[in-house]
Amino acid sequence: MNTFGLIISSPDGNIFEGEAIKLSVRGIEGELAVMAGHIPFITAVKECDCRIELADGTEKTGHTAGGLLNVAKDSVILLSDCFNW
Amino acid sequence: MGLDTKKLRNRIKSVDSTLHLTTAMGLVASSKIRRAMEAMAKSREYTEMLEKVVSSLSANRECEKSAYIQNHEGGKTCIIVIAGDRGLAGGYNSNVFRLAGQYSDAEFIAIGKRACDRYGGAYSAEHFSFEQASEISKELCRRFTEGEIERLGIISTEYISMMSQESRIDWVLPLTRPEKAEDMTGMIFEPDELTVLEKAVPLYVCGRIVAAVRESFASEVAARRCAMDSAGKNAKQMIDDLQLAYNRARQSAITQEITEIVAGSGM
Repeated sequence: MNTFGLIISSPDGNIFEGEAIKLSVRGIEGELAVMAGHIPFITAVKECDCRIELADGTEKTGHTAGGLLNVAKDSVILLSDCFNW
Repeated sequence: MGLDTKKLRNRIKSVDSTLHLTTAMGLVASSKIRRAMEAMAKSREYTEMLEKVVSSLSANRECEKSAYIQNHEGGKTCIIVIAGDRGLAGGYNSNVFRLAGQYSDAEFIAIGKRACDRYGGAYSAEHFSFEQASEISKELCRRFTEGEIERLGIISTEYISMMSQESRIDWVLPLTRPEKAEDMTGMIFEPDELTVLEKAVPLYVCGRIVAAVRESFASEVAARRCAMDSAGKNAKQMIDDLQLAYNRARQSAITQEITEIVAGSGM
């Protein structure tokens, strides 16, 4: 399975930094998931549970109070002002 | 003479206890520096990432209509003033207030106990959380879009090095359109640029507030350490001078006593 570099960043530092297979969040337009090789795009994220499928196949869930998802060619950054596991 | 030496002894004791105090405060400040610097670097990273997105969005033609870019003439100037929780940090607090004094007609939002004493409020600078920042930012962004606020600034203290810190004002809103922005062609905005910008700005303002508070706190502890270092040096110098005066007074008292004894014995 292809993986991509994922960073979840908050004003108090990076909460997560590592390889992931899939990231699912609720965007402003509805549920969305990002996998490796996704087209670059930016969207606002609503308050939601955020599911991350890690490179080893395990799943991690956190909660974000909203934020901004920035999908670039080589990395995915979720900027959230409030994020807890 | 006896009274004089007693007075000097008391003064030496009191300066000595001040020296203990300044040493302890200096040590506390040095132990906080590392953590404060780490927090500063982390919040800077977050803000830089957001800044990149916001600045390239504000350069976009679609976003010209945004309330965050347009001028709201006739509104108030709102300034967030970040000072320390405690004094004894050299000119740290007074530099911030001097700068704030130049904007006498502005509305101030205070962070840090010293600033709160002056302008009202209850935010601590050391334990400032991003939940609090987010609360302030949402409120300010709402007021800004409604046209109540004309411009929003942050007065903070820039950390230049351990020895030097400088208070400065940064204007956050309205957003300035950069001359040259990062090329975002090929980037898709969901649903469109304007909506993403309007969602990103409150986050960006929140990030800017947190970054400014963390940087100011790092400056505060650095300023306190320097101030305590020099206060400690002065106290040591003072003790040396007083000790010399004390020894002289003691010696002259002894000499006088000997002279009196010799004179009294009639030798």
